[in-house]
Amino acid sequence: MVDGAERIHLLMGNEAVAQGIVEAGVLFAVGYPGTPSTEVIETLIQGSKEHGIRSEWAVNEKVAFDIATGVSYSGSRCLVTMKSAGLNVASDSILSVAYGDVIGGLVLYVADDPGAHAGMEEQDSRLFTGTCPLPMFDVFDNQSSKDMMIAAFDLSERYMIPVMVRSTSRVAHGKAPVKLGEVRKTKPKPPMKKDISRFTRASPVWVKDQHKILNERVEKVREEFESSQFNSLDLKPGSRLGVIAAGAPWGYLQEVLASGRFGVSVLKIGTVHPLPLKTVSRLLDSVDTVLILEELEPFIELQVKALSADVGRKVAIKGKLDGTLPRVGEYDNELVEKVLNSINGCPKKEEITLDALRSEAKTLAPGRSLPFCPGCPHRGTYTALTQALMDLGFKKDEVIVTGDIGCTILGMYPPWSSCWMEVSMGASIGNAIGFKYGGVKMPVVATIGDSTFFHAGLPPTVNAGWNGTPIVIAVLDNQVTGMTGHQASPASGRFAAGAHTKLIKIEEMLNAAGIDKVVVVDPYDIKRSREAFRDAISHNRPSGIVLRRVCSLVAKRMGILEPPYRVDQDKCTGCLLCIRTLSCPAMFVESGKMVVEEVACAGCGMCAQICPVGAIGRGD
Amino acid sequence: MGQYNILITSVGGQGGITLAKVLAYAALNQGLDVKVGETLGMAQRGGSVQSHVRIGDGVYGSLIPRGKCDVLLSLEPSEAVRVPEYLGPGTKVILSTAPVYPIPVMLKEALYPELSKITLALEKIGCNVYAIDARTLAIDADASTSLNIVVLGAYAALNEGILTNESLRKSLGEALSRKLLEANLRAFEKGYEAMNKLR
Repeated sequence: MVDGAERIHLLMGNEAVAQGIVEAGVLFAVGYPGTPSTEVIETLIQGSKEHGIRSEWAVNEKVAFDIATGVSYSGSRCLVTMKSAGLNVASDSILSVAYGDVIGGLVLYVADDPGAHAGMEEQDSRLFTGTCPLPMFDVFDNQSSKDMMIAAFDLSERYMIPVMVRSTSRVAHGKAPVKLGEVRKTKPKPPMKKDISRFTRASPVWVKDQHKILNERVEKVREEFESSQFNSLDLKPGSRLGVIAAGAPWGYLQEVLASGRFGVSVLKIGTVHPLPLKTVSRLLDSVDTVLILEELEPFIELQVKALSADVGRKVAIKGKLDGTLPRVGEYDNELVEKVLNSINGCPKKEEITLDALRSEAKTLAPGRSLPFCPGCPHRGTYTALTQALMDLGFKKDEVIVTGDIGCTILGMYPPWSSCWMEVSMGASIGNAIGFKYGGVKMPVVATIGDSTFFHAGLPPTVNAGWNGTPIVIAVLDNQVTGMTGHQASPASGRFAAGAHTKLIKIEEMLNAAGIDKVVVVDPYDIKRSREAFRDAISHNRPSGIVLRRVCSLVAKRMGILEPPYRVDQDKCTGCLLCIRTLSCPAMFVESGKMVVEEVACAGCGMCAQICPVGAIGRGD
Repeated sequence: MGQYNILITSVGGQGGITLAKVLAYAALNQGLDVKVGETLGMAQRGGSVQSHVRIGDGVYGSLIPRGKCDVLLSLEPSEAVRVPEYLGPGTKVILSTAPVYPIPVMLKEALYPELSKITLALEKIGCNVYAIDARTLAIDADASTSLNIVVLGAYAALNEGILTNESLRKSLGEALSRKLLEANLRAFEKGYEAMNKLR
């Protein structure tokens, strides 16, 4: 992040958002890590000293939004970031705050994931504006990712409402040149004045007034959006086809149109809520057919359909509702070109032979599963759990293990195949309780990571303790938010920016929540962890195991990895039990025997514990 | 200029994303417009990773359109056939011949394709394939973790007339750790020589 007009930098969409925050003179930013939104706060943390920005991780998205609200009410600008699933967590507060008055600008950045690259639902966060009608910008490239942040803060303060900026994986994670601007200095406004008719929802009279004011503000924003720099209407004289494009598909359209084969009128929409209806009408007035390019839900399409009923003549609307375009997955150039060709009545000849050859080539590529990293403590946890269940005489797939969000869910893959399900942050524990209520006689084990536990695992833990539900809560405490790139969690003993602070002990929280049997083990010690699982599963009361060992990638970065292991090739019998049991990416087979790739080995020593002939030891 | 698209396929941890960064910096240094996109799974390592580097005017999307890949840099043999939808007649493929076997292959529960089969499948699509043993070359250069930069050197020797040798070398210093610059330059030269011998 730098200050400097007219300078061009290669920035990821999320880095451009962070740059926009700096240029908008924002001094507070808070969020919860979630792909594909994480890099905004990360970038701001890295540049925090230089720009005097306080940027940090909260325990969950609702807490992040509540903190941002407090900052705003104190008079300062604040950014809050989350992935689409996080919007659901924060929505309770967002809806409430929308009914009141924002003081310092309050902007919420949410990143959706068409194509489900990050392993979550294809939620379209634009639809949130249906129940909470806040203004929403929808980024369409990296430059707009930056520029919209500045516009969003100005808008938020002008209309005294929170403003949302939405991105998608393809833009948020794509890198492109971005023209930088001046860094503005902002002064905090005077803090909120006490006024319970604006800042509480206690009386139906107040709430109805607040609702009315919100709607009036949104209509004023709609008027302003008619001339927004982020929308553009390009009417091609004589063209009977219009295209409305929002988000990443606008870029795909630009590339397809560059061929010069299609003469179409184009309306680019960067302000998706409230939709600039007058501008849309101008397009509808000049064409017979409108194609709508938007990923996921037919959000714009439905509104354009409703509007077209008022135009007074028939305009054909092509999009998702008539099956022209899919509601699932992301768009690309090819799809846009195909649709334009078919509307123009000249479907392109399919490259049948070439496609067959491509398919043939693709069949050669072997499958690659997603393994735990070398030295990952979760490998020890799931190995110990598998062995403990065997010790207790349970058959494979007899005991339900509810998984949770994050790296810990990778225990669903072979060789463990432990986890049966994954719902949402913290759900593993509530789900496990429900299985017991539902009459499952076998033990039920919930596995959850430390960051996920703090995020939403505490309330169901209290529920289990309160009701004495006999479940096993295994907290895989690698002292970090792993999957999103090792952000600090309350279990890290350090702040988001790295400095040391108090470590919040999960075992103490489990105890306080009424879980009557709690042990802490090192998952690198498979024997001890196995015993702990055996005891907990046999306990028949709520029990907890904290499997604590720092993430091996963090240990590597900190330079505290143990030395690598080595296989004595004379002793190795080539049974490959190590690979079968642990599936470690640092293990290879050469001439039928296991070898450890020393640069990859994290020195966890689990393979030495598994080897039946003692062939594996420290490489010295 | 028109569009020029480079696809990098690799296994997590091989440096495919870093290689994309070096190419993007080189393009920027030459004043060219560039976009970089990535498709990668959830895992930190071990999964398939694809990076798209798109150079030229009028490039908006960060993914290469179907069949429009000019050069494929594959840091692992079987990854070269992971996403053939981007390849077409005339695509140049530089392929590192050292396999990274998935675990089922090591356990003999799954097959790994022979190099000749991969090459043939690519040639049938119309690709020109250049196979180099980048792993051995990296070790020879005393830069065992710079397999990706060996492939970059081989790419430079293709002389595509888009990214110059000088800007590629320069961006090695800008995009990567200075500490590794010497090792990376050695790796680059190894790849450069190997490609020149092949052609």
